Amino acid sequence: MAYTFPYTYYSCSCHETRISPGASKRSSHPPPAEDEEDEQTFDPKNPRSNYSLYPLEHLLYCEDCRQIRCPRCVIEETLNWFCPSCLFEVPSSVVKSDGNRCTRNCYNCPVCSAPMPVASLEDPANPSPNGGPFILSCPYCHWSTAEIGIEFDKPTGITSQLARIANGGNPMPTQKDKDKERDRRKESESRKLQDLLLSGTSSSSAADSSAASTSFDDIYASTSGPTHDDLFSNLSAFYKSQLALQTPSNPFSPHMDLNFASPSSFSRIMNLYSSTVSKKQKRDKPVPMREAASALEGLRIHSPSTDVDTIERLRKEGWNASVSPAQRLAQPNPNVRLASELRPVATLLCTKRGKRCATCRHILSKPEAKITSTRYKIKLLALNHVPRISVRWLSPTPAAASTTTINSTSSSFGSGMPNPASVGAPSAAAGTFDYENIKPGIPTHFILHVSNPLFDPIRVTLATPSITPGKLQSRVTLLCPQFEVGANTDVWDDALGGGGRKGSVSVGAGGGDGQIEAGKVWDRGRNWTSVVMEIVPGLGVTGSGAGDDDDNDNDDEELDEDDAVLEIPIFVRIEYETEVGAEEGRIGMGPGERGGKGGEAQQVQREKREEAFWTVVGVGRVLLF
Amino acid sequence: MASSASGERKASASHSRSIRGTTPRLHDLASTPEAPRTPPLLRSTSSLYGSPGGSFRTEDEYVVLELGSRFVRGGFPGESTPRCTLSFGPEHQRRVGDYREWDPEYAQKRRKRRKGQDWGEDYELYRMDIANLDLDLVADKFDRVVREAYTKYFLLDPKPRRILLALPPRMPHPLISTLLAVLFDSCQAPSITLLSSPVLATVAAGLRSALVVDIGWAETVVTAVCEYREVHERRTIRAGKLLSQEMARLLNAHLEADVPPNAPKPDISFEEADEVLTRVGWCNTRPKSNRRTMYFPARTSPILEEFEDAPETPEPSVTIPFPRNTPPTNLSIAFKELAKPAEKALFATDTPLSDFDDHELPLHHVVYRALLALPIDVRRLCMSRIVITGGVSNLPGLKTRILAEVEALVQQRGWDPVRSYGSASARHEQTLRQQKEKVELRRDEGADKVSELLLSPGAEQTLPPAGLREPEVDAMDVKLANMALKHGPPPACNAGGEIRGVETLGVWAGASLVAQLRVRGIVEIDRERFLKDGLFGASMEKEVSVVPQRQSMGPGVVGRGGGDRASWTLGVWA
Repeated sequence: MAYTFPYTYYSCSCHETRISPGASKRSSHPPPAEDEEDEQTFDPKNPRSNYSLYPLEHLLYCEDCRQIRCPRCVIEETLNWFCPSCLFEVPSSVVKSDGNRCTRNCYNCPVCSAPMPVASLEDPANPSPNGGPFILSCPYCHWSTAEIGIEFDKPTGITSQLARIANGGNPMPTQKDKDKERDRRKESESRKLQDLLLSGTSSSSAADSSAASTSFDDIYASTSGPTHDDLFSNLSAFYKSQLALQTPSNPFSPHMDLNFASPSSFSRIMNLYSSTVSKKQKRDKPVPMREAASALEGLRIHSPSTDVDTIERLRKEGWNASVSPAQRLAQPNPNVRLASELRPVATLLCTKRGKRCATCRHILSKPEAKITSTRYKIKLLALNHVPRISVRWLSPTPAAASTTTINSTSSSFGSGMPNPASVGAPSAAAGTFDYENIKPGIPTHFILHVSNPLFDPIRVTLATPSITPGKLQSRVTLLCPQFEVGANTDVWDDALGGGGRKGSVSVGAGGGDGQIEAGKVWDRGRNWTSVVMEIVPGLGVTGSGAGDDDDNDNDDEELDEDDAVLEIPIFVRIEYETEVGAEEGRIGMGPGERGGKGGEAQQVQREKREEAFWTVVGVGRVLLF
Repeated sequence: MASSASGERKASASHSRSIRGTTPRLHDLASTPEAPRTPPLLRSTSSLYGSPGGSFRTEDEYVVLELGSRFVRGGFPGESTPRCTLSFGPEHQRRVGDYREWDPEYAQKRRKRRKGQDWGEDYELYRMDIANLDLDLVADKFDRVVREAYTKYFLLDPKPRRILLALPPRMPHPLISTLLAVLFDSCQAPSITLLSSPVLATVAAGLRSALVVDIGWAETVVTAVCEYREVHERRTIRAGKLLSQEMARLLNAHLEADVPPNAPKPDISFEEADEVLTRVGWCNTRPKSNRRTMYFPARTSPILEEFEDAPETPEPSVTIPFPRNTPPTNLSIAFKELAKPAEKALFATDTPLSDFDDHELPLHHVVYRALLALPIDVRRLCMSRIVITGGVSNLPGLKTRILAEVEALVQQRGWDPVRSYGSASARHEQTLRQQKEKVELRRDEGADKVSELLLSPGAEQTLPPAGLREPEVDAMDVKLANMALKHGPPPACNAGGEIRGVETLGVWAGASLVAQLRVRGIVEIDRERFLKDGLFGASMEKEVSVVPQRQSMGPGVVGRGGGDRASWTLGVWA
């Protein structure tokens, strides 16, 4: 559907050879036996098929496994990182430390995700020395950082500037400052507690200290509460300090690996010999880690007022102030609710990745390292190894354009035509065919075109289920399921008058001279053959599937958007003979071996190979009444 | 994997061999990513003879994943927010090369639900009822999402990383097995650590014990966690799915009012209902039921009172655009209406309690019952550490509402598991009333510190009963309390006995913290072992001590290294 009709998808068989742990074998629902599964026809309407079908252009081919490799059965490895917006390469160390986003000036609009250039807000009346202030503004939806009150002094280094400005234009302390601040506050808190204890006001100490902690909460509350990040760093620092308290001082620390190389274990061994001391320092019972007690340690008590505030703002500002799910998911902070909290989103980095076969780990594709280059060093495409199959409508008569006029005048000619497809063909323009509106129930002919990218002639066997799976049950007949396709020889052979053609194409299946006849190919060329396929598009659920539907009160309504698409699964099997010496010999044999019998081996050894896979041909959309 | 990884592997292998001075075993030469290398130093010890040294360089790196039925979150340890939150819409399930979602015409069309499909089924990764679940399809979906996370958001170098996976407790084994197989297969992870999400939510709240109310998509799970351990669990189906269904019903009803009588009825799609719910849905903060018997603690009341009672002259309304409706329309709906779905789906205030089945109790009742089922000292800890998390908990007002409702229930019923005393109910009520009066009395006393009974001249001889008297101050107690204050945890850690909510940073943040602190999980699944035996390789015992027993320093210990465990367990998931 994505591609305009007609299209062809190829199925990768990798999902059958997935890792299957022992558990699945013993689970209560035993999977169907293996041999049974092989016999099943491929069902393009099954939701699973969406994950195994690919257009031919998306597939790679592993020459060692001799199999199609889809994006799922390759292992990807990143070669380099770059920003798609400024095309700067980012070294891997920076990716590790600074994250997966561009740290320069590249930002995307939080509303519509378009890239946002820096714009100047300079007042032409009194120009500033550097042309500022600057904003990021979206050329598509006209959102700009001015809406959240952020302006920049410089047009460059936006990321570092943005990190220091909160929404509304207030300066935002950096993480380091926050950490320092937290330590300072904690110290003062503990000092206060000490004072309290020393002064010895006995009974009310607990109440006072709790009051002290709440006053700290108030400090956070005054700056609109600790943010998600604040709390996280507070919690993290708290846990770290608690774990540090717990660190056992005894040499037999349970988590230690006894590795003589590490200095710590060395110290432990040394401790062994001075054991008298360590025995006395018998570990005292470790104090259990306590829980966080204040906002400085990451605890936040739920307060109803924040909830009420949010509701109040929603009530006042309504729909437009809220953020759509897609916008929220794009934000780095997942708790954004209101449009005033949106921040520009730094552009995600892209990678150049090499791909390896998951089974044999051979490289399947490797792009050039240079970022601006789109070329590949290695590229093993399925296009070059697998015959391309395509379908198109067969105009009812060889000279369709000329017959239309006759067709309209004399009906006797129309009845004498070899097939009734002319009724189904649109009469207004007989030369074209509306793939989006195929008439159901009327036999229509299509040409199945198979072209061969290999340098050897192939023998093709096609198979289809006679009735397509799914709700739309169409009848399919391949008039010639077995035929040969010539080798992909030099183009000039074809042009220079059939010299090579005689050798490559045998005349087994009949001439193929444009006759719709069982067992005969329709047409053939240098490296392609086309056969005729007759399809009787089904009438949909109401016509054919009435038997298996129990509740037929609203059957006709329930056809999904994709149910009316006429898709035909075709099983393709190709056989060919190829010279092994050409490629295999060089790789497989050692150099000495090759020297010994290289000469004749390369000429004599021919190997029979076969490949088989499912394809799905999307013919068109059936017009259901 | 890249040459760098293999080079490292080789180097570390030879290194460790030379240390041991033994011949290399087959195990060392296995082509697994889990190559022998210096095991990680889990905690730095204060070392006398040098810095912690080389072990930090080879420390294992983690990827943190959180799995829900509608979202997968992924990122790196030590970061406060996940790198990506990925969902499972039908748009993500199309064939490669199917770009119809970008077709402007298609985007304007409302999609119909497929026949026999449950509400929102297209948007789920899995459901707990696996009888009708195609596990292979789950694997396909999950595989695609994980690959997207790795290639688009993580941007990792080829080094294999361990995975810390936050899972809801009690998942069916076939489902866990499927998900793990995908992770081992497509991420090449050397090992996966499973952690249960309520415990992580507790960690992310900074607590050790909590009552975690996870309002998810298909169900709400109330888990009591005591000292990082799940001790009790209750579930109800009143959660996100019912809520969005209820919202769709409300919107349909309002849209229908504008439609001419014989036109087809509007049928809102899942996305539209979901968007309205997340954008402008809210929940009334004040309980509707039993308002008479409600007791409001002083700290919550003033704003709420105004909020509820002031009659608003122009009824505020929200205008919601529906571009996919035929014809496209703007629906203006009263703001008050938008709180109704939550009322109906989560609290079901109109239905008497006796009409509910066990699996569909309203939220506050589930929370109350979970608390009731706990032992008394655990209850004391948990009731003042109610952590509400999960996707739906972001609905404004919901947390406040649940806490208020639970408080009301506690006020009304106390902690009495018996709900009907039959013929003895009159007596019971009387005792209850007396108790309540006593409590009120004590509260009043606490407020002004002066016992009226003592001051009133008429009662000079009759001392109040011992329970109501001001306790005598014992000097020793004070000293002990001071000691505790000095050395022990601050008093805020001992809070208990009242209903209190604590905010959490979320399950993912908890997992990130745990991974950052290099805390070892109980359930750690090795790639090799899983591929060999699947989940059946797990030992039956649930508790495996993470702290290894004290071992003698024989050669066996040296050879084994700390990274290995003889057996592994499934812990809570077993």
